[in-house]
Amino acid sequence: MDTDKLIAGLTEHADAVRRLPSPWVRTASWFAMAVPYVVAIVMIMTPRDDLAVKFTDFRFLVEQVAALCTAIGAAVAAFQSIVPGYSRRLLLLPLVPLSVWLASVGEGCVEALLRGGALQTFTSDFLCIPAIALVGALPAVAMTLMLRKGAPLWPYTSAALGGLAAAGLGNFGLRFFHGQDASLMVLVWQVGTVFMLTILCGQAGRLFLDWRPAIARARRNLAAH
Amino acid sequence: MQAAQAGDMRAYERLLKEITPKLRQIVRRRRQFFSAEEVEDLVQEILLSIHTVRATYDPSRPFMPWLSTIAHNRLIDSARRFYRGKSNEIPMDELPVTFADDWANIENEGYRDPEELKIAIKGLPEGQRKAVEMLKLREMSLKEAAVASGTTMGALKISIHRAVLNLRKALSKE
Repeated sequence: MDTDKLIAGLTEHADAVRRLPSPWVRTASWFAMAVPYVVAIVMIMTPRDDLAVKFTDFRFLVEQVAALCTAIGAAVAAFQSIVPGYSRRLLLLPLVPLSVWLASVGEGCVEALLRGGALQTFTSDFLCIPAIALVGALPAVAMTLMLRKGAPLWPYTSAALGGLAAAGLGNFGLRFFHGQDASLMVLVWQVGTVFMLTILCGQAGRLFLDWRPAIARARRNLAAH
Repeated sequence: MQAAQAGDMRAYERLLKEITPKLRQIVRRRRQFFSAEEVEDLVQEILLSIHTVRATYDPSRPFMPWLSTIAHNRLIDSARRFYRGKSNEIPMDELPVTFADDWANIENEGYRDPEELKIAIKGLPEGQRKAVEMLKLREMSLKEAAVASGTTMGALKISIHRAVLNLRKALSKE
């Protein structure tokens, strides 16, 4: 097709479009949508008995705040990644809270190993995987639908960041009803699950973030008019 | 773009017409081995991409970085497609033609008038003409020609293949 004809076709039926809000506003919308769900799941699963005590545990608070900030930072970065023109350096935003989170958990692991007996108390806790996936499920679905409205510039990165946001929030919710605080267990089963889900989501990026279907739709619309 | 987002068709048309030469220039510069047709295809693909994600433009931010991010992203996609296509190709030795039919022995066909050939070479697109000059007339190796032209060996192979087809078409017309 001649380019001038293509331009004429595109502009002839170009309706007004609803501008995408800024990544920060979209993150706030996503968070507002996800938090009631996370709270509902925590209530259904019954909050842990020692929750009041945990609120006075500095390490627990640091890790929870860091997990929450990682989720929010990843969501902002994911929403920025689908808007052309932003610096790619902003995609590193979640690394700051993530490193705080890892440092806190890592410090706990080192302390436990130096105290001795940490490896003896290490057990399998596969429950973390479905539990984090459950808490992060609705945020992940909401994230997917919201990411699809943008430009699929870096599908794997956007999807991985979206996955990190949902899984981070999932882990944040999990610790309110799952009484597992040994740092080594947290590192392997909880942080490990977050990383695993992030990688899986990243791998699925091309399934829902791809130029081809959008371009094919635009071409079909052009042919139909 | 702000007006285009609000549904102003004239403004949108003006914008697309204004950016098309710039896009063509970017594509030509980044894909020197592309034929004019391939350049136009990619420009159209970028225009369609812009159209599908025009809602992502934020008027409070500059337009050019928004546009160039989309253009470069689509250029990278096209390169990925190109190399994926190349990796699916199986390199084979050139086998001698074994059929007696004239059409099957095209390697032996002779171009009787060198002047005609010169004119036909001049009429080729720039990328193809350079490939013919370097590989056929100056008898450079693929590697040398790739270094000299700043393109890849794969791109040169494609250019020379297209050039030969175009030359054959041009000469058979005459």
